[in-house]
Amino acid sequence: MLKINELTIGFGEKPSVLTGISLDVADGESVLICGAAGSGKTTLLSAAAGIIPHLIRPGTISGQIELNGTPFSAIGKKALYASVNIVFQNVEDQLWDLSVEDLIAFPLENRGVQKSEIRQRIGELLGQLQLDSLRGRRVLTLSGGERRMAAIAAAMAARPRLLVLDEPTTGLDPSARSRLVETLLELRTEIPMLLVADQDAVSLAPLADRIGLLKDGRLSKPLSSASMMRGSESWLSAGVLPPTRMKKRRDAAAKGDTLIEVAKLKSSLTRSDGKHVLQDVSFQLQAGEIVGLIGRNGAGKTTLFQSVLGLSKVVDGVVNIDRVDAGNWTPAQRARRVGYLPQNMRRILFNLTVLDEVIFAATGSTKPNRDAAVIDNAMLSLAKYGLADHAGDNPFALSSRAQAMLGLACVESTGCSLAILDEPLLARDIDGRRMLDIFLDDLVKQGRAALIISHDLELIDDIAERTLILDEGRMVFDGETSEVWTSDAFRKLGWMPPRPVLEHA
Amino acid sequence: MTWLNNVNFFIKVFVAFAIMGVAWLAPNLPMSLLLVVVVIGILAVARVPGFRGYLKGAALLAGLVIISWCLNLMLQGMSWMDALPIATKMACRLIATTGAFYFVMETSTPGSILSACSAARLPPMVTLVLSLTFGIIPMLREEFERIGDAQRARGMEIDQVPFFTRLRFALARGVPLLVQAIRMAHAISLALAIYGFDTRQKRTTWRNVGLSVEPLLPFQEKAK
Repeated sequence: MLKINELTIGFGEKPSVLTGISLDVADGESVLICGAAGSGKTTLLSAAAGIIPHLIRPGTISGQIELNGTPFSAIGKKALYASVNIVFQNVEDQLWDLSVEDLIAFPLENRGVQKSEIRQRIGELLGQLQLDSLRGRRVLTLSGGERRMAAIAAAMAARPRLLVLDEPTTGLDPSARSRLVETLLELRTEIPMLLVADQDAVSLAPLADRIGLLKDGRLSKPLSSASMMRGSESWLSAGVLPPTRMKKRRDAAAKGDTLIEVAKLKSSLTRSDGKHVLQDVSFQLQAGEIVGLIGRNGAGKTTLFQSVLGLSKVVDGVVNIDRVDAGNWTPAQRARRVGYLPQNMRRILFNLTVLDEVIFAATGSTKPNRDAAVIDNAMLSLAKYGLADHAGDNPFALSSRAQAMLGLACVESTGCSLAILDEPLLARDIDGRRMLDIFLDDLVKQGRAALIISHDLELIDDIAERTLILDEGRMVFDGETSEVWTSDAFRKLGWMPPRPVLEHA
Repeated sequence: MTWLNNVNFFIKVFVAFAIMGVAWLAPNLPMSLLLVVVVIGILAVARVPGFRGYLKGAALLAGLVIISWCLNLMLQGMSWMDALPIATKMACRLIATTGAFYFVMETSTPGSILSACSAARLPPMVTLVLSLTFGIIPMLREEFERIGDAQRARGMEIDQVPFFTRLRFALARGVPLLVQAIRMAHAISLALAIYGFDTRQKRTTWRNVGLSVEPLLPFQEKAK
């Protein structure tokens, strides 16, 4: 049993990230922790996995964590990490340039397990998590969802007593989420204790015996999954979107000119079977439109926006931006018209201060800018997304939530015609969704458009008036969002459609 | 180039050392030049990743070595006619050596190096140092390119600008590269800790290792 008793943790400027947390996870039990971004989920999970204080030392820590009656402090690192394993939300934090098999084998090789046993274990996990197609691939070249599944397989490889998963559904398509839940249920006897933090309670509910809500570092008493999934008040007070859908659809805005037109696009990049990652992809976006793009992990979504931005070569097809053929434009010229917000903002940050990032977005230059109007506008953008106090901070020092907000401020400052938002995770809690709504409202008012790439079908259902489905590199659906869920193309994906809206906000 | 990627890391290192030895022992300039042509030719034929970048670096290195050696020798009283062959021979040695080791780095993944070292029952610390030494440079190169793509994706014109502006932009990428390198080091150390790396425990490997290193797990074993 994992027993956390009166755990309080603080870091530098934030002296109480967690306050008096007590939590038990019994053998054979799975506990799900939900909470808004910044509520302390990652800190709690890092402590439960022994990362804090063994590898990361907080400013203050009190309370005790025990595994099967032995305090963590009395268990050596080697023994502790043999019993407990974790997969972080930012899965890149624990990966390096290994192949999928290398990554899964790594914990076993390090412990001197025999070759035949390692090969058998890799085979089992590749089969159970349906990762066969990824054999031999370098982990760092996989899509976000594939990468996460590989990291989860690695964490399971040594059969830890306690598996800790931080936001495991991030970047996973609905099939991969179901597969993950099924696998974890199957492996309950092998991995008896499971502690998960996620904002997607609906996907993980079949797995969770109890659910607790974390708000401002304080944890509510975890209650049975069935009772938690019925209510909505406790979720709302914790700042999390409740399992019962409450969001009403955005009203469609008046359409304007065509901003982006992609016709018969064929990527230069090919799959392992030799097929082009993108084949004859066509679509267009008009001013005032919010369009959703869905598709399986590895369907070609990343290649599509990279092709639109000119970062990935195409062998055929046309990209028109603002009715001009952008074929000869450099990526930078395209990026002045097409703003991009990735899932992981760290991938596109490179300035030394938050203010510099926004000024760069507005001017396209890294030269020091002393123009008062530019600085004032940048500060206004930061203030709009709650970052005015962080203007002088290093962007890499911001939380993931704050980095996502910075991304919105940057895309807005670019003044681009189209904003591409790749899996906007900030939309998974109430505050984040509010910020996203503000961003989209302003975008529409200014006659611009947005393409939202997401596996969160309810988000797509809420905010997109039109939805595209990309499957195996082909655009197999382009139509009204109200019609997509009953389409053949969607049925072919084998996903459950979004749950109906029961209440209206 | 797949089969070259699968050749055992130690064989490639041995060959690289052999090329270095020949380069330094080459008796005259024609032979040094021939060796350089062979090494560069192999890099080109094998389509080693980042080959064009390597060529630019090698040209810069050759230029600097030839100029500095000529200057040095002329200051010692040698004529430039005599100094030039000596300086060129020195540049050839360096290009042959760096080219050979560049080939090893670009065709050996950290995973295949780990496997080769583990199969040779080397101490874990030696295994780690070798895989990081040879594996980190391609990772940093890819990170450097990724930062460039991030700058392009955010509207920074780094393609259609004069050479010196491009060079300045490339140098300016050093700061985010440093930040990413620190993050990478953190990720590797974290992975080592949580995945049970222990300097006192000799590692094993899942791969079959001989003259070549098995690149992936055969399907029949995954179906068990």
